[in-house]
Amino acid sequence: MGEEGKPKYVPDPNSAKAKLGNIAKQHYDNLWVAKEKGEMIGWCASNFPQEIFQTLGLTVCYPENQAAAIAARGGGGRLCEVAEGEGYSNDICAYARISIAYSQVKDIEEQNMPQPDYLLCCNNICNCMIKWYENLAEELNIPMILIDIPFNPDYKVSKEEIAYVKGQFLDAIRQLEEITGKRWSDEKFKEIMKISNRTSKAWLKATSFCKYSPSPLNGFDLMNHMAVAVCARGTLEAAEAFELLAREYEESVKNGTSTFRAEEKHRIMFEGIACWPHLRFTATQLKSRGINLVATIYADAFGFIYDDFDGLIEAYCNVPNAINLEHARDKRIALVRNNNVEGMLVHVNRSCKLWSGFMYEMSRQIAEECSVPLSTFDGDQADPRNFSEAQYETRVQALTEIMEANKGVR
Amino acid sequence: MAALQDILQEFHRIAASPQELLKSYLGQGKKVVVCSPVYSPEEIIHSMGLLPFGTWGADMEIREAKAYFPAFICSIMQSILELGIKGAFQGVSAIVVPSLCDSLKCLGQNWKYAVPGIEFIPMTYPQNRNTDYGKEFTKAGYQRVIKDLERITGETFEDGKLHKSIEIYNAHNQAMREFSEYAGNYGAITAADRNAVFKSAYFMEKSEHTALVNQLVDALKATEPGKTKKLRVVTSGILADAKELLAILEDNSIQIVADDMAQESRQYRVDCPPAGTALDSLAGKFAAMGNCSVLYDVNKGRASYITELVQEKRAEGVIYVLTKFCDPEEFDYVIVKKACEEKNIPLLQIEVDRQMVNYEQVRTAVQTFSEMLG
Ligand code: SF4
Ligand code: SF4
Repeated sequence: MGEEGKPKYVPDPNSAKAKLGNIAKQHYDNLWVAKEKGEMIGWCASNFPQEIFQTLGLTVCYPENQAAAIAARGGGGRLCEVAEGEGYSNDICAYARISIAYSQVKDIEEQNMPQPDYLLCCNNICNCMIKWYENLAEELNIPMILIDIPFNPDYKVSKEEIAYVKGQFLDAIRQLEEITGKRWSDEKFKEIMKISNRTSKAWLKATSFCKYSPSPLNGFDLMNHMAVAVCARGTLEAAEAFELLAREYEESVKNGTSTFRAEEKHRIMFEGIACWPHLRFTATQLKSRGINLVATIYADAFGFIYDDFDGLIEAYCNVPNAINLEHARDKRIALVRNNNVEGMLVHVNRSCKLWSGFMYEMSRQIAEECSVPLSTFDGDQADPRNFSEAQYETRVQALTEIMEANKGVR
Repeated sequence: MAALQDILQEFHRIAASPQELLKSYLGQGKKVVVCSPVYSPEEIIHSMGLLPFGTWGADMEIREAKAYFPAFICSIMQSILELGIKGAFQGVSAIVVPSLCDSLKCLGQNWKYAVPGIEFIPMTYPQNRNTDYGKEFTKAGYQRVIKDLERITGETFEDGKLHKSIEIYNAHNQAMREFSEYAGNYGAITAADRNAVFKSAYFMEKSEHTALVNQLVDALKATEPGKTKKLRVVTSGILADAKELLAILEDNSIQIVADDMAQESRQYRVDCPPAGTALDSLAGKFAAMGNCSVLYDVNKGRASYITELVQEKRAEGVIYVLTKFCDPEEFDYVIVKKACEEKNIPLLQIEVDRQMVNYEQVRTAVQTFSEMLG
């Protein structure tokens, strides 16, 4: 919201930022149009293979994106309390609490979304997802499809896992055809795979510009743009917008400009989901110290690159929360090295047991291997009550001091 | 025939001394494999001549595990890791951890670094388990466990031996179901007795445990159930193991007539069905399992399972024992609560934690609940 007397900031309509913003907005607008036309609407887990429903031409929306938007706009606490009033423990992931609450409240000012006719669940990010969607399915009395992608204790995806996921894939297509009456087309599938790869490549290319010193972007931008990587990966508009974003960053590197509006004194890797309810505070604390976020595993999370059907499945088996400690660690070590990261700030996210459950050990190993300082803070992606400004500030300050001292030595 | 109280004493002794038992097994030269919750394929371990030794953690203060788990991970995971770090399992060959919830996934990852002396063997189960591809994947998970066990212990796997172990485990299931049936109707069997029978199963070779349980059931059959004024209650949750909690139930005249606890009856509801190979049979068992918070349950069959159990056992209410930070159970709770409300079944939720020292709140809640029922 623009303040009284102050014109609202409007980005150049031809910029990638404006285009990405539009895609995100358009996504919600399209949902309502589809709903009005009587189309069935699905609610979908962020890492569900979107190639399936894109090929079938289905309209889906993403409760995680919605929950993040609600939390960023200040509604997280209120909706969490609605869920708690229903008997949901306040220890449950806040995205799930917000989403379940929304399915009952149905109309809020922060971000509305049509109610679902069916649910598409994939647990490659967590098993909490299964429980969340089971409860939605039960409370709303609608069908649920689960593609179960188990946590992989091994470094590589086994052929047995691929076969298992493939079996479910085919079943999911059949079930969806039944539920929605739409028909599968192999031709369309190929086309969607092509576009998705193009989007993913562009997204990965854009995020790779973080490696430049100074970085042409403020890493928090990625957390915002990610919404599009989630909800529109299979669309041409998204591919083009990310390609434009990459070109803009390329320009910026040449011109020495950046969306990080401060002098870049330190470069860090931020681990975890942003604290949406405290985004401004958490970002300002970094910016005021000249700390830019130049690495996050998020960048990898939505870059699905593959050549064929098996490769597609493998990509979904390799999302950050589905891989073992060593694999997860090595991906981060590569990020730290490639992007000249000087310190790690780790969000121990109360909502996310899987993401936080072996984070201490993994972070220690990364910090040791890369000789970078490490600081953790307690927070929550969407429940504003699980965060302390004072603790955050102290931890960021401590990290800054070590990074400064390290610079002095060098 | 041994007197009822003597047999019960034996169960209490075993349930209370896992550490001593483990030492003595190792002292006898047995090779032991620790099995973590919720469903480890004990039959496989047993068939290879190894002793499966179950753990659900312990009531204790958590110190060392805090360097690995943040505070919001359940105390079962925390205490298993704490026991591991403190050397409680020293001398065992390996630990098997099935990754059926997010916290269990993390236990295995932390274990590798926190307890480097004891190898971690993952058991990866499918959630879409009752399909052909699901069963194949379950079998692939078993094969992975077998391969690791063979490498670590030098023992070998044979399908024929698994077949024999499955018979032993099916017989044990049967004995446990029968015990639960009888225990519910005998006022003399307290919540603590019931717990001791279920808990001791994790620390004994199964055919030995079956023999002891059968003795107990025979002893029960030989006595009159007697008229009791105790309140008939069904328990549900992961585990009800704390001494204080069990005493509170007894103090308030609560008789557990059936349970839906992960550590108790959920283990014994389904037998291995006949199949081409023993490994297929074991996969068939997992495929048939359900009504459990860590197994995909799209129709929330667990909720109606509980209300039907209440009706069948003429129970007067349900106590939902929630392990703090157990998100699978926290989600199910809301649906179970609604199902109970619809059927006018009184339900009490109590939250427990393996680090809990003060049970006053639990005491008051159970007291109020039992007064309401009584
Ligand atoms: S925040 Fe964590 S627990 Fe919540 S939905 Fe995402 S991955 Fe799952
Ligand atoms: S099922 Fe619940 S109690 Fe068991 S390990 Fe998972 S979170 Fe802990």
